[in-house]
Amino acid sequence: MVYTQRTVWPLVIGIIMVGYAYLVQSGQLEPVIKFLNTGRYVGEMLTLGYAFGGVAIAAGLWHLVAAPREGQSDYYFSTIAGVMFIMMVAFVVKWGLDPLMANWGRDAQPTLGFNFASVMNLNYVVMGILAGIIVVNVFKVPGWAENGVRLSRLGLKTGVILLGALYSFAELAQLGKLSVILIGIFVLGSVWLVLIIGVRRNLPNSMTGVLSAGVGVCGVSAAVAAAPVVQAKSLEIAYTIGTILLFGVLCMFLFPIVGKSLGMGYVQFGAWAGTGILNSAQVAGAALAFQPGGIETLKVAEIFNITRVLFLPIIVVWLAIWYVRREQAAQRDVQKVDAMQVVISKFPIFVLGFILMFLLSSTGIFAPARHYQGSYFDNSEKALIKKDRSGKEINNHLKAEETARLQKELDKVKRDDQKAALTRLIENKKVMSEEDDAMVRGVINSKALSKEGTAVLSKAHRVVRHTAPKIAQFRDLIAWFFTFGLVGLGMQITMSSIRQAGGQPLVIGSIVGVIKAVGSLIVVMLLVAETI
Amino acid sequence: MENKFDRGSALTIFPSDRHEDLMALALSLAIAALVYFLV
Repeated sequence: MVYTQRTVWPLVIGIIMVGYAYLVQSGQLEPVIKFLNTGRYVGEMLTLGYAFGGVAIAAGLWHLVAAPREGQSDYYFSTIAGVMFIMMVAFVVKWGLDPLMANWGRDAQPTLGFNFASVMNLNYVVMGILAGIIVVNVFKVPGWAENGVRLSRLGLKTGVILLGALYSFAELAQLGKLSVILIGIFVLGSVWLVLIIGVRRNLPNSMTGVLSAGVGVCGVSAAVAAAPVVQAKSLEIAYTIGTILLFGVLCMFLFPIVGKSLGMGYVQFGAWAGTGILNSAQVAGAALAFQPGGIETLKVAEIFNITRVLFLPIIVVWLAIWYVRREQAAQRDVQKVDAMQVVISKFPIFVLGFILMFLLSSTGIFAPARHYQGSYFDNSEKALIKKDRSGKEINNHLKAEETARLQKELDKVKRDDQKAALTRLIENKKVMSEEDDAMVRGVINSKALSKEGTAVLSKAHRVVRHTAPKIAQFRDLIAWFFTFGLVGLGMQITMSSIRQAGGQPLVIGSIVGVIKAVGSLIVVMLLVAETI
Repeated sequence: MENKFDRGSALTIFPSDRHEDLMALALSLAIAALVYFLV
């Protein structure tokens, strides 16, 4: 089979991308950028426009000039056009549709009484996935792009692995404890519930087993991993995947709307999505849809998602024992399957990649090892005294009038340790240690000082906290890997794959899925504080 | 998505999930090295 098709479209896409970047650079799109309020994206419009445009032009020429023969080069080079197709859709959605909807939502608010873009959560993540679904189901993915669309899952997995670089030990220790408890309860609980209902409704043991892994653990990959130990047939795996996809897609769109209407914070929503949504890809989609401008929610959600993947070996061994006992009780011959062998051969390596990236990051190669959410403490003179573009020195020590303001309000602080930290701040005109910084944050949060005094403390705190440039770069890259993966994922959600869901597996999967989603929502709202 | 490809599956170009995972790991390590040396 030859995959490279003779077409002019990759070249056209490349010319559009480069042309757009050139128009942005030359300032000719200034009015449009101002209207859409997309000034913050200009940097990436230039970098990504030129980079991807250049690659698309090269790929376009390959498609026009090359005489491809079946083989490795044809197979792998032909994926580039599909990647460029996805990126083109992502650019249009992120830099065009998303800000346009935000504008329309604001403009229509006086008439409608509510901001429809905000209420319906119409951001670039949701619209990107919707665009993908519309492309594949209404227009069809063009033949020359089909091979590349199959790289979207690689993009999602790469994003998850890279995400490991953003966690610090402190964050992982705090989130880890919470996730093990929540996931432990809901994963084991939902597997158990599917097994009980499946038996009651006389579903075949193989069907019940594979469905329980899919609904309980992490969706499609768990179903595929559990299939050999319960000797599931292809049709049963297809039923399970259809159920998970249908339920997962609904959750991906509904969860952010519910989360926003309940006023959930990043940690709460991340914990809920990572526990309640059945499939890994849709967890990422919902988390980014909830917070499209940052990845704090995604970080929390992925910790929960990865924790449940780590439960996979336990579930596979459990299902193996359950299946053998059930079949033997029914006096049927059971083909022996080595559960440990299945675990070793099916365990998702990308989870180990995430842990490896976290361990690499915790050595301090991307940010000081004590960083928290990518920001670290540094009060050295080099960090406080900087130069602006014109070479003028900017001294970030507190000024005399600022220390005088703090001195005047010092008696408002009641705690001795906080008072001591503020005294050291006044004497040295800068926060003296990480512990003092924590005290300063405590005073800011307590709102013990006046507005002016709190502003001085906020400045003192801000100038000693620095975002590691490498971590900032990782954040941008991760957001784009997920955007690419999710738009491509939308292009793989076909009506035929969802139509596979049906019958008893859909009923049982839906019952347990709803119990899991609602149950985890209640637990998260009651027990998870926004800051942990 | 129906599988109309003679290699991989409807969802991936790689022969198995394990191959895809390893490729994602290799890609991530390459990107991490680039970030480490260039940023």
